[in-house]
Amino acid sequence: MKPRINVVWNEIYCKRCILCVEVCPVGVLSLEMDEIVEKPGCIRCYQCERYCPDIAIEVMDG
Amino acid sequence: MIDRSYKELLKMRRFPHTWCPGCGIGAVLKNVAMGLKELGLDYQNTAIVSGIGCSGRMGGYMNFDAVHTPHGRALTAAGAIKTARPDLKVVVLSGDGDLGAIGGNHLLHTSRRNPDITVFCNDNEIYGLTGGQAGPTTPKGTKTITSPRGEMYPPLRLGKILTAQTPYFFARTTVYHLNHFKACIREALLYQGFSFVDIISDCIELNGRRQGFKTAHQMFKWFDERFHVVEGVRDHLEDDELGIAKKEAEVEVKAGAKPEMEEKPEILEEDLKHYTIEELSHVDGSEGRPIFIGYKGKIYDLSSSPLFQGEKRMRCHIAGKNLTKDMEAAPHGEDLVLKFPVVGRLKE
Repeated sequence: MKPRINVVWNEIYCKRCILCVEVCPVGVLSLEMDEIVEKPGCIRCYQCERYCPDIAIEVMDG
Repeated sequence: MIDRSYKELLKMRRFPHTWCPGCGIGAVLKNVAMGLKELGLDYQNTAIVSGIGCSGRMGGYMNFDAVHTPHGRALTAAGAIKTARPDLKVVVLSGDGDLGAIGGNHLLHTSRRNPDITVFCNDNEIYGLTGGQAGPTTPKGTKTITSPRGEMYPPLRLGKILTAQTPYFFARTTVYHLNHFKACIREALLYQGFSFVDIISDCIELNGRRQGFKTAHQMFKWFDERFHVVEGVRDHLEDDELGIAKKEAEVEVKAGAKPEMEEKPEILEEDLKHYTIEELSHVDGSEGRPIFIGYKGKIYDLSSSPLFQGEKRMRCHIAGKNLTKDMEAAPHGEDLVLKFPVVGRLKE
């Protein structure tokens, strides 16, 4: 699993509906090899966390 | 920074939940838990009632005493709980098929009795659990498994039915308009009486794919095209409006009943006693005399004023004087003086 800089992704809860990938306004998230991958450039808008229906993705605090 | 304390109200050990990827019920569950946590409601003062269907599983994922009722009978069980324990907050989590179709009769008569119940209806416009048959709220022309050439009949308009009789609280929102959704949840939980929130939700696997949507987000964009948010509290909502419709009970006015009014005896200005400045200065509250002041040629009796009690003055205003000039410098208006009774006229 690749390290993520700003988001915590829960592999077990996630159902790969890719809602977080599509709501991301800067497009830093993507689904590659059945994994949510984060590219650099997150603006910490919390949209992925707010829209996730499975509570599987969280933006790290701090 | 998001407050994540709502997770205490969810049974996280039972996650991931059973619904399809991208299902709107997950968003309903999460946001209702957030709303309950925000208002300080927990398992000690709240009971959850859920019906049958995909959305009926919501009660099982929450850390509350929950009842999973027979099909369509969520509102009956909720009414019974509210009757036996009026101190409990009763929240019904169910879907449009359970509340609108099989439980339609209970919906009509529970809203008529107006108990203090909050209903969150996950309205995905389809019978989701059984495989995507046309439900009561399926829009006309929608292709489903039972209507391959498009649904023939117009949908049941829950908003019109529930706002037909006062008092009512009806809110329509979607899982896409998150801020509006949270505001509706909060308003509905705070409302005293039967409050119904119609949450337009997505069933991507069994409804969306048949209509040509590839992901849940494409359905969300479709909701954004179909509906628009209206601000404030309305009397009624049109079919394409998201918002809150609220109305209090109409009070019946009995015929023949006269409104009670206190009649004030009119005092003719000519009959009033005339005071000179010197006479007025004696009536300053000392030795049991009343407190009079002059203002714009009239004498007012300030004996009942709490500010003039005990002393002959209130800060810089001295009793028994003409205070017309003081009023211009005072921070308050003349209404403070005009509410006291007029007892005389000032002789210049």
